[in-house]
Amino acid sequence: MNLIREIWQSIVRRDPLSTDKGKSELVFLNVWLHIHPAKVKKENLKFRHTFYLGFITFFLFLILLTTGIALMVYYRPYPPQAYQDMKDLQYVVFMGPFLRNMHRWAAHGMVICVFLHMCRVFYTSSYKKPRQFNWVIGVLLLLLTLGLSFTGYLLPWDQLAYWAITVGTNIGSYAPLVGGQVRELLLGGHSVGEAALLRFYVLHVAVLPSLMILLTIVHFWRVRKDGGLSRPIWKLNSKKIETLVTIGAPAEVAPLQVAAASKDKTYGLMEVVTGKPIFETVTPEEEEDTVFSYPYAFVREAVVLMATVTTIMAMSLFLNAPLEELANPAKTPNPAKAPWYFLGLQELVSHSALLGGVVAPALMVLALLAIPYLDRNTSRNLADRKLILWLFTIFVVANLALIVVGTFFRGPGWALVPPWVHVVAGAE
Amino acid sequence: MNRREFFKFSWGAVGIAALCSAVGISLAAVVRFLMPSVFYEPPQTFKIGEPGDFPFGPPTFLVDEKIFVFRDRDKGFAAASAVCTHLGCTVAHFSSDQKFHCPCHGSVFAADGSVQHGPAPRALDWFEVTQARDGQLRVDKDKVVPPTYRLMV
Ligand code: HEM
Ligand code: FES
Repeated sequence: MNLIREIWQSIVRRDPLSTDKGKSELVFLNVWLHIHPAKVKKENLKFRHTFYLGFITFFLFLILLTTGIALMVYYRPYPPQAYQDMKDLQYVVFMGPFLRNMHRWAAHGMVICVFLHMCRVFYTSSYKKPRQFNWVIGVLLLLLTLGLSFTGYLLPWDQLAYWAITVGTNIGSYAPLVGGQVRELLLGGHSVGEAALLRFYVLHVAVLPSLMILLTIVHFWRVRKDGGLSRPIWKLNSKKIETLVTIGAPAEVAPLQVAAASKDKTYGLMEVVTGKPIFETVTPEEEEDTVFSYPYAFVREAVVLMATVTTIMAMSLFLNAPLEELANPAKTPNPAKAPWYFLGLQELVSHSALLGGVVAPALMVLALLAIPYLDRNTSRNLADRKLILWLFTIFVVANLALIVVGTFFRGPGWALVPPWVHVVAGAE
Repeated sequence: MNRREFFKFSWGAVGIAALCSAVGISLAAVVRFLMPSVFYEPPQTFKIGEPGDFPFGPPTFLVDEKIFVFRDRDKGFAAASAVCTHLGCTVAHFSSDQKFHCPCHGSVFAADGSVQHGPAPRALDWFEVTQARDGQLRVDKDKVVPPTYRLMV
């Protein structure tokens, strides 16, 4: 018994969890957990503040990593074997359809959740000082998510894949000056073929996931270093907002001093850091609002993790990821549609390739990146932010409207066809 | 600036210059590396068969080459690109209206390839058709010709 106890102690090396010291040590002696603070503000854990969308996005990414690695075992990235392997995954490989479905639905879910997460951050003003840069990291994560979806889309090598990527990469070639070369670089040729499939594969399984992991680490680190989550809006009026101090940056409230720990604190790690180590540090009045991360934060995160995995698994049992016929460069399906989240783009492109496919998306991304720096309004109160709320809402609604039109209202030849009218496609 | 400062500054400048050129050269090397030196793609010039293989009337669609071959009793042979100039989908030739229709974003090209409708920015390409020594027809995709071009055999 003693040996077992000793082994366990050598692993966890902390006091029992029944003590405050143990609860703190659980967090900061553990490499995976110590991105959390030992204590968090109870109010910040409320579902209606973050809807846990960032976590859901992250958990979906974990599902994608694991199922993706599993799929790699049976997938060969060259035509036409690639398509054959998809068929094998669907009909021969044990649990193949389930894994493929999970990968597919988690990918769709991630696009949805990353977008909703961005909206949450926007509407709660969580991009404002000191979190401007984390918003920028976030926009890059959004682009990476779309990039992963786009590169993954080609891999099944079916008709859908082939034409979505043909159209998608041709959009890029409208970019001034370098457009043609960029497309050639991406495809490794002049049209979507063997070289393109291999390159997309490399991007999809190595380059983009690595970047995603790196940036996610930065993103989480910054959430923590920016003082943890922003305060929920409903807490704004109740307390006066504290002056913010950035670590290492010139402070407005010079000089930095060692923060005195409150008398009943049982842990004091922060005292080795000079100045207020974190933004919006706990003031004595707020002290009673804080709880230990264990169990309050961890249990909530675990519940969200389980709910996410369960939902994706349940969907994967009943909904099958589509697979069309083998890619056929000679025959464009009619209508040829990109994945739904790019249908807004395709709708724009149907009006003008340069304006809709290059200029408009580039401006949208630049505008998103610039939001925290252009928005000089420091108030987080919804009532004080009317103009920007309108602008952002128009941006969101316009994007959704374009997607809806592209998805439901476009028939053969990209003609406007309401969804309730049935058209026989491919009639010549 | 005294001697000491001057050397400090110079070495700093040399260091930064070295770093910038190293990064620049590496980037250029990476881009060049990604650019294939050889394209294992179908050649741009290819033979398509004997003149007699092609019927009069509706054009013949060559799948791998993505071209339409027209044969007219009075005017002769012509080859039109089947690749939409908008975003590269394969257009279809409708015999009902003698036009090319693109399924992707609805571009319509007239019988001579000019844009009639939709987002396509320019007309479909017409390629040079010649007769090789062995009598076969040869198409050269690198030689774009006006839509009036015809080869009489
Ligand atoms: C792969 C994509 C992303 C992942 C995995 C992710 C994950 C997270 C997580 C777990 C949090 C903690 C709070 C929460 O759950 O809401 C968070 C906060 C945050 N995220 Fe993201 N995020 C992603 C993309 C984005 C995007 C697209 C933006 C904005 C453009 C963004 C901006 C922020 C900001 C500013 C915070 C701090 C919010 C606050 O303090 O209230 N993130 N993110
Ligand atoms: S590709 Fe032909 S209309 Fe867009």
